[in-house]
Amino acid sequence: MDRYEDHTLTGAALRRRYRWVFCVLGAVLAAAVFFSFWVGYYPLTPAQVIQAFLSRLGYDGEILPQAVTIFWSIRLPRILSAVLIGASLSVAGATYQGMFRNPLVSPDILGVSSGASLGAAFAILCGAANYLVQLAAFAGGVAAVAASYLISRKSAHSQTLSLVLTGSMIMALCNAGVTMIKYVADPNDVLQQITFWLMGSLTKTNLTSLRWSAIPMVVGLSVIGLLRWRVNLLTLDEEEARSLGISIRRYRVIFIAASTLLSAAAVCLGGLIGWVGLMIPHMARALVGADYRRVIPASAMLGAAYLVLMDDLARSILSMELPLGVVTSIMGAPFFVYLIIKRKER
Amino acid sequence: MRLEVENVWGGYGSGDVIRGVSCRADGGEILCLVGPNGCGKTTLFRLLLGALPLRRGEIRIDGKSIAAYSPRELARQIAYIPQSHTPVFSYSVLEAVLMGRASHLSALDAPRAADREAALEALARIHAVHLAHQNYATLSGGQRQLVLIARAICQAAKIFVMDEPAANLDYANHQLLMSVIQDLARRGYLIVMSTHSPEHPASIGTRVLLVKEGQVAGFGPPGQVITPENLQAVYGIEMDVVTVLDRYGVSHTICLPVEAPR
Repeated sequence: MDRYEDHTLTGAALRRRYRWVFCVLGAVLAAAVFFSFWVGYYPLTPAQVIQAFLSRLGYDGEILPQAVTIFWSIRLPRILSAVLIGASLSVAGATYQGMFRNPLVSPDILGVSSGASLGAAFAILCGAANYLVQLAAFAGGVAAVAASYLISRKSAHSQTLSLVLTGSMIMALCNAGVTMIKYVADPNDVLQQITFWLMGSLTKTNLTSLRWSAIPMVVGLSVIGLLRWRVNLLTLDEEEARSLGISIRRYRVIFIAASTLLSAAAVCLGGLIGWVGLMIPHMARALVGADYRRVIPASAMLGAAYLVLMDDLARSILSMELPLGVVTSIMGAPFFVYLIIKRKER
Repeated sequence: MRLEVENVWGGYGSGDVIRGVSCRADGGEILCLVGPNGCGKTTLFRLLLGALPLRRGEIRIDGKSIAAYSPRELARQIAYIPQSHTPVFSYSVLEAVLMGRASHLSALDAPRAADREAALEALARIHAVHLAHQNYATLSGGQRQLVLIARAICQAAKIFVMDEPAANLDYANHQLLMSVIQDLARRGYLIVMSTHSPEHPASIGTRVLLVKEGQVAGFGPPGQVITPENLQAVYGIEMDVVTVLDRYGVSHTICLPVEAPR
């Protein structure tokens, strides 16, 4: 045992470092959430935020009634949505990147966003109520991934390759459908709604839609969270993983299903919010290494904090509110370029 | 521990790539698979690892057919050591070795301290503990091959199936790897390795399986199988097998393709 004593020491130091990273991530997330209650069209002071929070817990000091409403009915659902969407997209992205053995993969690769867009656009065209639009988005996203998966099983190529191929086919089909709907939609009313929905925004979140979307998200996060060490094994060759004694196809189905629940629920709650699922796992890996035992929780925390802050930017950078999807794209696209350049250097 | 391959047939689609291969080997042996490109070595490996179903015949480990093992159980018997390739993500060496514990963990489990200990011990076995916390992706090909061997040790399998372990290695790494393989055999592991070079079985192999077009062209101790006639039959070119003495008086067998001077 003496032979590798000093190396276990290095191991202990590393584990201590990772623990610190997680503490800092937790603190950053908490600070981001707290800070976000101040920001918006109607700014609140930190004291008002705390008072509003306590008002429901029996605090009966003097307080602005508007502050209570803003805290509980507007900002709380919105911030919780940002937390859940950020965590979901990042965890789904990290899982897909492992599964497809490609760090440049985003959760959209099997067509979940395109399917959700088609579902939502169709529901808006039919004049459906908001909750039906969200339901249609969720169903569309799940259906698109299910179609990609089922068609890929008929292909003679390797499973990952055929998934990518069928995914892009489904994406193209759904996008064509969305374009068609936009083409026939009334430009003064329906088209505007569709366009706005596709931009991605958290303005319409409320506690009801949050509660319903939270169910698939919590299911997806728990499944991936519990099985997260096994994502490591999916980054190996199919043959290799099999020789280690795991059935790679079974885990692939589980991870695709869980990731799809996550991204479909995220899209149905917030519309199309791009780049988060692509860039956050990279940052997580830079902080905690490649092991999915750490990458998954780090991605969840980082993604949550990131989206909360991006939403703060969206609602405060200009006098009018910016679509969140636009903000994340403006931040994300340059990051992607940076990744490509960095990969070239290596 | 004994591996028996009996009249095995298998392949893809409608054709059979492996047609009636039989051989056997015991723990402590090094069984070398020799044959030209496309002779079916890889297919035979896939059959051994249970990745491809047998169409006829049987493969037994200690008398029990591999068809009767679950993938998890089989992984505790046979480990696969692929040709080293660059991983996509920057795992540490220790994390890469720990993946060998998969068949010993239940689905919801992640490796614990005991598994980490086993991984470090496996690394110690190949004298590579100092690599434990280095980035696996930036190691040299030879070092990565060693790490994959450590993963197989960590997997606690008794049979190591190695796909051309010596491919793309320089002289020093080649020598190191061969000595590691011999050391493993001395410890009782059964090594099944494919190789392009008929000199490997002659120097370290205890048995050779010569394969041509999916059939056995020779099976037995290297001295009997690695002959000019057999090699000529398999590779389709004239071959000489010569013995040379090095400066320390140790003899080596060398296989040479030859051509009559024009």
